[in-house]
Amino acid sequence: MADTVFHEGFFRIALWVSLALGGLGLLWRLVTWLTVRIGSDAREVSFGQRLWAAIGGGVGALFSRRLPGMMGAFFLDVLFQRRLFATSKLRWAGHLMILVGFTVLLVMHALAAWLSGKLFDNYYATLNPFLLLRNVFGAMAVIGVVLLALGRRRDWAFGRPARRPADGIFAALLAVVLVSGFLLEAQKIASPKAFYRMTDEFGLGTDAEELAGLRWVWKQDYGVAFTDLHGEPDADVLAEGRELNSQACVDCHARPQSAFVSYPMARAMAPVTATLDAANADRALLWLHVLACLLGIVVLPFTRFFHAVADPVSLVARGAAASGPLSLAGRVSRRALAADACIRCGLCDARCSVAPIARWLDNPELLPSRKVQATRRVAGRAWTRVGDGDADRLAQGAHLCTDCGRCTLRCPVGLDLADLWDAGRDDLAARGLPAPATWIQEQPAIAWAEALGTELGRVPPAGPLSADRRTFSACVQCQTCTNVCPVVAHGGTDADRVDLTPQKVMNLLRLGMVDLALGSRMVWDCATCYQCQENCPEGIRVTDVMLELRGAAWRQLGPVRDRRRPE
Amino acid sequence: MNYALFLGCKIPSKVPAYEVSTRAVLGRLGVVLHDLPFDCCGYPVRSLDRDASVVAAARNMALAARAGLDVLTPCKCCFGNLRHAQRLLDEDANLRERVAAALKAEGLDLPTSVRVEHLLPVLARGVGLEAVEAAVVAPRAGLRVAAHYGCHALRPSAVTRFDNPMAPTLFENLVRATGAQAVEWPRRLECCGEPLHEANPTLSDRIAQGKVADAREAGAQVLVTACPYCHMRFLSIQAGRPDALPMMLYPQLLGLAMGMTPRSLGLDA
Amino acid sequence: MSGQQSKTWDVAVVGAGMAGMSAALFAASRGLSVLHVGNGGGLLFASGLLDVLGVHPVAPGRVWDRPWDALAALGKDDPGHPLVRVGADAVRVAMERVMSELGDAGMPYAPAEGNRQVPTSLGTTKVTYGVPRSMVAGAQAFAEGLPTLLVDFRGLREFSACQVVQTMGDRWPGLRCARVEFPDSEALSELYAVHVATALESSATRERLFERVRPLLGDASAVGFPAVLGLSRSGQVHQAFEAALGMPVFEIPTMPTSVPGLRLKGALEAAVGAHGVSRRVQSVVTGIVFDGDVAQLTLHDAAGGQTAAARAVILATGRFVGKGLVADRRGVAEPILGLRVEQPEARDSWHSRRFLEPAGHPINRAGLVTDSVGRPLDAAGNPAWRRLYAVGSILGRQDWMRQKCGSGLSAGTAWAAVDAIAGDLGGPGPVAG
Ligand SMILES: Cc1cc2nc3c(=O)[nH]c(=O)nc-3n(C[C@H](O)[C@H](O)[C@H](O)COP(=O)(O)OP(=O)(O)OC[C@H]3O[C@@H](n4cnc5c(N)ncnc54)[C@H](O)[C@@H]3O)c2cc1C
Ligand code: SF4
Ligand code: SF4
Ligand code: SF4
Ligand code: SF4
Repeated sequence: MADTVFHEGFFRIALWVSLALGGLGLLWRLVTWLTVRIGSDAREVSFGQRLWAAIGGGVGALFSRRLPGMMGAFFLDVLFQRRLFATSKLRWAGHLMILVGFTVLLVMHALAAWLSGKLFDNYYATLNPFLLLRNVFGAMAVIGVVLLALGRRRDWAFGRPARRPADGIFAALLAVVLVSGFLLEAQKIASPKAFYRMTDEFGLGTDAEELAGLRWVWKQDYGVAFTDLHGEPDADVLAEGRELNSQACVDCHARPQSAFVSYPMARAMAPVTATLDAANADRALLWLHVLACLLGIVVLPFTRFFHAVADPVSLVARGAAASGPLSLAGRVSRRALAADACIRCGLCDARCSVAPIARWLDNPELLPSRKVQATRRVAGRAWTRVGDGDADRLAQGAHLCTDCGRCTLRCPVGLDLADLWDAGRDDLAARGLPAPATWIQEQPAIAWAEALGTELGRVPPAGPLSADRRTFSACVQCQTCTNVCPVVAHGGTDADRVDLTPQKVMNLLRLGMVDLALGSRMVWDCATCYQCQENCPEGIRVTDVMLELRGAAWRQLGPVRDRRRPE
Repeated sequence: MNYALFLGCKIPSKVPAYEVSTRAVLGRLGVVLHDLPFDCCGYPVRSLDRDASVVAAARNMALAARAGLDVLTPCKCCFGNLRHAQRLLDEDANLRERVAAALKAEGLDLPTSVRVEHLLPVLARGVGLEAVEAAVVAPRAGLRVAAHYGCHALRPSAVTRFDNPMAPTLFENLVRATGAQAVEWPRRLECCGEPLHEANPTLSDRIAQGKVADAREAGAQVLVTACPYCHMRFLSIQAGRPDALPMMLYPQLLGLAMGMTPRSLGLDA
Repeated sequence: MSGQQSKTWDVAVVGAGMAGMSAALFAASRGLSVLHVGNGGGLLFASGLLDVLGVHPVAPGRVWDRPWDALAALGKDDPGHPLVRVGADAVRVAMERVMSELGDAGMPYAPAEGNRQVPTSLGTTKVTYGVPRSMVAGAQAFAEGLPTLLVDFRGLREFSACQVVQTMGDRWPGLRCARVEFPDSEALSELYAVHVATALESSATRERLFERVRPLLGDASAVGFPAVLGLSRSGQVHQAFEAALGMPVFEIPTMPTSVPGLRLKGALEAAVGAHGVSRRVQSVVTGIVFDGDVAQLTLHDAAGGQTAAARAVILATGRFVGKGLVADRRGVAEPILGLRVEQPEARDSWHSRRFLEPAGHPINRAGLVTDSVGRPLDAAGNPAWRRLYAVGSILGRQDWMRQKCGSGLSAGTAWAAVDAIAGDLGGPGPVAG
């Protein structure tokens, strides 16, 4: 019968408390999938509708044509992780090793008392194959972590992928669990104290001769670090020891060399084993190991490793969506789930179409993994700082996205990022950060000129073209640019119509009144069709100037904008 | 003929049929396409940050240069922007230096001799009208086609060198090569409205509707484009309208005339 | 970058005013390969009315009914005039060709017999030879004094029907005016002529306009509108107006830049394009060097500089407005090649004492001197190159503005130059047409 620390009162309580906390965390996260509102249409559906849609979707899916799709998604996407396989073999291998390593350790080792112990009547943690396997899977998990870290590094586009503080904590806990586990095993292997505890328990200490033999055997074959045994053992003593060992020990103790990680550690630790024994190190390590595990349970729902729960749901939801359009309530929940299920793996960043632009602008907020987090933050109540430079960087990220869809294709979790980006832009707009064309057109050109607070004509030139008088000095104000402009032509009413015609914009430049042009609707409604430029009898680069004015307006009007906070 | 195929952002995600039909048709005509890890051409950011747009474009062209290939794009906005970037790099030494430095950090060189071409000129001048005509086995006789030029390839002509900006004939010639008839419609050179779709949807719709109405009045039975943006614009403003003018991408029209199946060209029918 | 630099063109035409456009058209229709450089924007200032020779002599301002008679008279008084050099036959064919090409491009002209008096938006009349079909009924109605309705549109500032009636009323008693609301523009305070013209290319808009105009017709037997009846297919639009209103309909040309100017430019560009001319719209020629049998041109545009080679060059760069001639303290010069410019001796003799000198100022007759076939002379007085020709208003010894001979001069000299080049390059003879 396998033993477990959880028979001890304290550990038992700690286990239940952490399970309860972890459960609450899990519940909280699940509830956010139904409460977080991303996108303006999210307001149209209530919690109840979303809950209903989720339940209905889940149940419905089980009894519908969707089932095969979802099963397929589960096997291929969740278990085999085919999307990760397609995008990064290295990370796929790492992920698989962690997944297998930890699952096996959980089942075989942590839950030994309930699972392995019951499954195998000869289960002993110290017996092979279990001893070997524990090392195999432990090592697997460690290698997996290393591979993932390497892969992640290699795939960095620019700037780190998004992360949350809890991610670091959890990663540290993980390291603690793995390291303390191996240390504990090593210490147990080498510890004379553990040896005596066993011999006492089994009443083997009575015959001093026998015990001496057994100690020699355990020193030589099992690597226990007895400090008082020197030289070579007497052959008879040794034989007696072997006799005893084969009677009393071997049924439960394989030779620890098969613990190919812990055994070398034990050998290396031999000089300090006694000191550690004196300090009750095995006990301390056990505490550390178990408490780190339990703490891990508590933090898990708040870390990227929660994807172990969220991603299967997301992938299955994706499978469901693939076989038929989702309801609005379903879509809204899927957005919340997406914002939650992102594991910040950064695979999307590596092939984001605007990554080179992000690098040039030195703004990592253009990258999708960051935008997922930003979308969540903007939608959440915590968002109170719309209007500062940081917000502008987020807005830039949202509005420069080309909707190329590559991130959605690449995401190993199958998040519907395209829908998330649309919804995120909605939210930004509702909080006063729509696309530049929109916010600039919210007030007339003259108001912008006043906001710039300069005397008319005293703003810096908009760029190399407008700085050079020759660009427009030849303009004869012939009105041709206006005549051929489709934007002027299609203004159906005075209110709809652009405030200035292209010809007038050129005239403002000629008069040095750049500030009046910057915020004009003409500049922002220009379709960049190049009719004006092509038809200008004086060869003036009207459209190129318009584009330059836009860039300048974006830079110069942003800071003087009266930003509004969310109502 | 070898080209690096530059699809840009819109074709793979929004108009995949354009990629399918382009590959199908060019493959048949002996144009070999290569796929490189291209990113955004820089067009979407051009009006906000000229330099960022040039860097993005230059990086793509540098990738092509490294592979020793010229670039072919079916998107007119990508085409225009890549050529704009070349122009700006030519005329602005300071910009050139900064871009070169940015590329260097990635181990790339400033592209100096990459040729950027749009699908239509490659067909009309590279493959050649005669070869295109020769490949036509099922002429679209009697089909009246309105060919929409698209602004960013045609203008500014000094930069794009696509065709005579005042009286282009390239697209109509290609339409005629399929056996179809190219209708004359007054607004054929006008904007489709897409670039201001976000800033001013009402106006954008009005411009596009005006064009479609004009094509219809000229007797067109199908409106043919060669740019994903224009295509999306005309599709979306006509969505759900019973009198919608059918739309086709040029390689689809050509592919049908070359005897390919609608399916292989990404056509539903 | 364009890969076309290596080609040697038969002809390079420099300049895209009336003269350059005609030259490119003529050359291309003779089967020559043509590179055509220049911004046709100057044409935007034209009215669509094509003058051959309206006034001679300038001083008394005698107006002629038949340009050919005027040309005969000019030949006696001013044998050095370029129109006289090329002769009536060449001018006549050239004009016919230009007008028929314009017709093919959607801007048809009325058959021209002699000069006509066309009413303008200022309430004056203009004497001219080639009249777009959409304007010709105005000349007839004025000549015959028909009861006529002039319609204008609220918000279109270029044209006030009642102002025309006020100025012309005593010469044209049956003339009435009316103002209508242009369809779909109730909410617009200002209309742009070009946009009105484009809108009228849609039959739906036209129908709505007709409904507003019909009740106003009354006893009129002709209706006049500002020159906004269509842009690229004005011929069809005009026909639709006549069919719908059941009487002659005419346009009154407005002040530049006007719809007819844009039409003319568009139609000429279309014609040139249809003939396969290779156009460089936004380029300028900054230098030409002659290298034996080939001329090397340097071109500049927003994309930088390039070169092009041609076996013949036609210089059609205009006068001061077109920048074919430049004036500074030292005098008038031709900037590309430094050709000889015939000009007043000293700057203070450029203008006569009287500012509004009816005979024109000496500077108005400044320009290039050519040999008998139209090749400009260099500073030493010899043809600058065997196949360099100058056409249009850059030529000296003419005052097209006062003589009302702009188009005739441009087309006629272009015809002669192309004829000479085609002969020299061994191309086919002129195609009848
Ligand atoms: C206001 C106005 C009204 C008119 N109305 C009438 C009318 O009613 N009837 C009529 O018959 N005529 C009229 N004309 C005259 C007529 O249209 C022409 O202007 C005239 O015939 C001269 O034509 P051109 O081609 O020689 O010169 P321009 O029209 O001056 O053209 C010169 C061309 O050369 C180009 N150019 C100059 N330098 C270079 C260079 N280095 N490289 C490349 N290109 C160059 C210019 O861009 C331009 O395209 C009018 C002209 C004006 C200005
Ligand atoms: S859709 Fe946007 S965020 Fe995603 S890869 Fe494309 S540009 Fe990047
Ligand atoms: S969105 Fe997907 S691909 Fe991007 S970081 Fe999140 S999980 Fe990874
Ligand atoms: S067309 Fe050119 S010259 Fe005329 S008003 Fe516009 S910018 Fe000025
Ligand atoms: S480029 Fe802009 S300003 Fe110029 S004609 Fe087109 S819409 Fe008008």
